[in-house]
Amino acid sequence: MNKLAQKYLRPSQIPTKACHGCGIGMIENWLLQAIDELGFKQEDVIFGTGIGCVGRQTFATWGGDNFGATHGRALAVATGLKIAQPDKKYLIVVGDGDAAAIGTSHLIHAARRNLGVTVICEDNMGYESTGGQFSPTTPAGYVTNSSPYGMAEPSFDPCDVVKAAGATFVAETTATQWHQTVKIVKKALQNDGFSFVHVRFPCNENFGAYALGTRDTLKNLEWIWEHTQGRTVDGKETDFTWETGIKHDASNSRPEFSKILRDMNERVRTKMTEKGSGDGGH
Amino acid sequence: MAIIQTGVSEKLVAPWAEWAERYREGRRLLEAGTYALTEGAIAAGCRVFAGYPITPATDIAEYMSKRLPQVGGYYMQAEDELAGMHMCAGASLGGLKAMTATSGPGYTLMHDAYGWAITNEIPLVVVDAMRVGPISGITGAPGQGEFYVARYCSHGGNIETIVLSPNSVQESFWLTIDAFNLAERFRTVVTILTDQVISDMFEDLFLPRDYAELGGIVVPRRHNLTMPFYPLNSDAIDVPPNIVGKGTGICVSAYTHTEEGYDIEAMEAQWAQTYRLVNKIRHHREEILRYEAVGLEDAEVIAVAYGAASRTVKTGVLEARRRGVKAGFLRLISLWPFADELFERDARYLVCELNYDGQLVREVMRAAPDKRKVHFMGKSGELHTVAEVATALEGVARRGSIPELPYIWTEVR
Repeated sequence: MNKLAQKYLRPSQIPTKACHGCGIGMIENWLLQAIDELGFKQEDVIFGTGIGCVGRQTFATWGGDNFGATHGRALAVATGLKIAQPDKKYLIVVGDGDAAAIGTSHLIHAARRNLGVTVICEDNMGYESTGGQFSPTTPAGYVTNSSPYGMAEPSFDPCDVVKAAGATFVAETTATQWHQTVKIVKKALQNDGFSFVHVRFPCNENFGAYALGTRDTLKNLEWIWEHTQGRTVDGKETDFTWETGIKHDASNSRPEFSKILRDMNERVRTKMTEKGSGDGGH
Repeated sequence: MAIIQTGVSEKLVAPWAEWAERYREGRRLLEAGTYALTEGAIAAGCRVFAGYPITPATDIAEYMSKRLPQVGGYYMQAEDELAGMHMCAGASLGGLKAMTATSGPGYTLMHDAYGWAITNEIPLVVVDAMRVGPISGITGAPGQGEFYVARYCSHGGNIETIVLSPNSVQESFWLTIDAFNLAERFRTVVTILTDQVISDMFEDLFLPRDYAELGGIVVPRRHNLTMPFYPLNSDAIDVPPNIVGKGTGICVSAYTHTEEGYDIEAMEAQWAQTYRLVNKIRHHREEILRYEAVGLEDAEVIAVAYGAASRTVKTGVLEARRRGVKAGFLRLISLWPFADELFERDARYLVCELNYDGQLVREVMRAAPDKRKVHFMGKSGELHTVAEVATALEGVARRGSIPELPYIWTEVR
């Protein structure tokens, strides 16, 4: 076990049941590096997850308090928790199904409220734990087990969605960009507001096998890397390009949601005291 | 047993029978059921409400948005009912008592969160103000269509649930405090199944002078800071709820769990979890049983109802007695777990409810000694009239059947 895992994770819960070559463990290691470099302790961070590959593989690995919500609802649970426990850092680690499909409305409204959480959307571009069906982030035209003739729907970029909704920190990165990812996650965690980090990673068993025709981890990583550069390793133009890096940084520019509510309570109660009815009576 | 004007015995088995005696200093108001529910929640220590507007539960949200900031609580308007109940579950996990309120269409959306909160033993109160359905139905008319839905409020089985139903504005206040107490003691979701009539109507409401003086009846929130977080194969109640955010290392999830809260795929763990979720409620049924009974000692036919329907049914029973029918009245306040023990008498039962499909009647048929003596009197969208109930009771007592009445359905099969 590496030193970061020893410091922050639960020995009994790792290694996880992730498939060979899965990027989830690697990304979690980078999250730990960011947490460590910021000097956070186990008890400073509440770790929330959803359902699917990302939920199943990361839930209960964190040494501190953990929750794994129903599918897509991690942000709704986190909203209630943040009200009750406002001083904690929240790392909400979810997949593309959670963030970009079943739970998108919660994502949008958490961004709108500027809820003080950091969402790490670990995107393997499909529903891989159910056997590899396309999701809203699967590139259009690609073959999956539910798009045997190529995905017919257009995909969307969840970063655009949360930015439009009012997120105060938005970044995109991939499992091929270690230093960039650590840097981005550190910035995300320093925003007292809604931070969204989109991290693409390869699924070798399903997306790799069916969309890309290989279960070779390095080849699948290489395919992702090529699409961040817009060029294949042989110098050809790729079919599309992912712009990675920080996409929007308005960190700490507007009040965090639980603080808005606390401040309102303060105003209401001060007014009541001035009026001489500070007992909270009906 | 108290004796009312008609010389009939009357009995109320509910904690507030005593609470109302204990707290006599306060204010008398003319207020709505939604107001009483809100004040009951505030009095019980509820500090978070997250919900989505829906008739006829909207007023609870509006009252909460005004009252919660005054007592240091938080009102959140969710993007949908799914989010609303999950937010409440999150807040309760973080250590604050929480409640949401809705009506049928929103209630079905909450089932996702129900299963999560029940399995993770998160204390919560959910109000469902029923209206006639299915779906949106008629938003301003009462219904009783969620009798079974409230029992089976999650998929997957392997749970028991606690459901209470008030029938007056005053009772809505006390019953809400009671619901919060049961939620804390049983570490589960308690559903208040009210309806459009009881929510919207205005009645006399007594509110105790100072809620801080209710310490003797309000179960405070406690925090479990040590393992086991989920006592498996245990039916213990009064176990302090778990808390996220105190660094205990608690794990809460949607999966079948171990004592630590780790996800596990082993049948022994599944059985141990089920034993806990089912038997902590089944083995303490006497702690949950609440009902009202009138004239049962000599009754040959017993009218059974709950919620709004019980108001005209009770008067109908008294009217039938004036007509010489040996009629009794049984109002269920705790709907689930179902009070089988109240139906052991080999009498005739007339089950009055606000739906045409027949829900409560099916449970009475199951619990009663002779299901052929269980009669159904369904009405949809509006209350039974006193005359209808009295006539039906006369028919059942004298001829063994309900006479044909317009707008009354009697078929269950």
